[in-house]
Amino acid sequence: MHHSVELMDVHVRLGTIRILSGVSIEAKPCEFISIVGANGTGKTTLLKVINGTLRPFHGRVSVLGYDLSRLRSLNFLRREIGIVPQRSNSIRFPLRVEEAVLMGRYGKMGLVHRPRKEDWSKAFEMMEAVGIKSFCKKLVHELSGGEQQKVALARALAQEPLILLLDEPTTYLDHSAQSEIMEIIHTLHHQRELTTVLVSHDAQLVEQYSDKIYLLKEGKSHLIK
Amino acid sequence: MEILNFPFMQHALVAILFAGVAFPIIGVFILYLNLIPLRFAMMHIALLGGAIGLYLKVDPLLLGLLCCLFSSMALGPLSEKMKLGVGILSGYFMTLTLALAFILIYKADIHVLEAFNILWGNILSLTILDLMIIGLISLMVLAMVFLFFKEIQAILYDREIAMAVGLPEKTFYYVTIFMLGLTIAVSMRMIGALLIDAFVLLPAMAATLISKSLKQTFFFSSLFGLLSGLSGLILSFFLDIPTSSMIILVASLIIAGCFVLKRWLFSYEKIR
Repeated sequence: MHHSVELMDVHVRLGTIRILSGVSIEAKPCEFISIVGANGTGKTTLLKVINGTLRPFHGRVSVLGYDLSRLRSLNFLRREIGIVPQRSNSIRFPLRVEEAVLMGRYGKMGLVHRPRKEDWSKAFEMMEAVGIKSFCKKLVHELSGGEQQKVALARALAQEPLILLLDEPTTYLDHSAQSEIMEIIHTLHHQRELTTVLVSHDAQLVEQYSDKIYLLKEGKSHLIK
Repeated sequence: MEILNFPFMQHALVAILFAGVAFPIIGVFILYLNLIPLRFAMMHIALLGGAIGLYLKVDPLLLGLLCCLFSSMALGPLSEKMKLGVGILSGYFMTLTLALAFILIYKADIHVLEAFNILWGNILSLTILDLMIIGLISLMVLAMVFLFFKEIQAILYDREIAMAVGLPEKTFYYVTIFMLGLTIAVSMRMIGALLIDAFVLLPAMAATLISKSLKQTFFFSSLFGLLSGLSGLILSFFLDIPTSSMIILVASLIIAGCFVLKRWLFSYEKIR
């Protein structure tokens, strides 16, 4: 069986700065792996490498059995990878919560096609799963950081991905809300048999949920659990 | 109503009907994709084109338009290749093309006012060919929004998310920039580069103040574009004021009205 995500000796630089210098991680299907490390150690960069936004100058990246360096277009692969970005979109854009979640379905709908009934029901199912259905008519930019994070999670799940990438999903939350969202993520990870890669600066928080934990330090990865 | 007996007024009216509805939609793109510098860059690129046209004894307006089209096609891919934002690259081209235009005007002994004519425009001097071009571009903009609404919505909201869900984000972004260049080039002929905002940006700004969805934003921006265009044209005729300036005045009043309406709606929602 191929690994869902496999990085072998990956080196990445942005301009002249080396961000990653020899990172190797693997996530088998349905595994929950966490990557921890201090701010600025390249955790977000690592996620961008996995979804193909950044290409490493050395090393091999394999996602769902595809060697990313051999693919011309990654759009078909990205439809299988849900992402919850760290930052929330701060621009004042007129988008309701339900529309933002439905956006997760856009890639799979095909160009020109309008959302079908099953796309809407999938979006509502995910809003219910993460507990945001009650304010589905609200505008996204009017929500708190934590609520926006849940919207991003629902959107990523509405995509029905095989792989879920989470970039500091608890950044804007207080302690109890952090545990709540981690529980939601963990439950959905098992229910939907996802391969989950979560990056966080808080090793303690992710410890109980993770099958494996890698520490990212000075551009290198170390398996610590 | 007798003003409609003049062919130049009929032409202006048809142009406003098309451009008033379609061009503000491009203004919405400019606002949400933060492409305001691109609009300035296009103005200066057109000026350089005009100067080259005068030097080569070719229609300066046509050359100005061609320069705008070519640069709007090149800017997207170039910004990606150079890893610079379109905004930064626009700033670069804005100053470079202006400098080149001045050098050409000075060295080739071109009459400055002739070159700058491309920046003024005149909605009352449109030909049938102009109307056909305006109509065609307007229909292209409307068709694009109608067919690819969901893709456009995702890209305007967040390009990274559009890419992450597997949409061909780059292609759409480049097409958007191209359409923007096309619209600006045609608007220059209609209303002049310096007053493009009347048709493109101001109605969009007003719409973003009061809209609660992207569909509403597109609808209101088109409505305001049409409203300011038509009333500006008619008022300018009766008050003997330049048409472009009158359209801008009406559009500015609409923005002020939307701002007041927004404040009122906000306080009403708070009380409720």
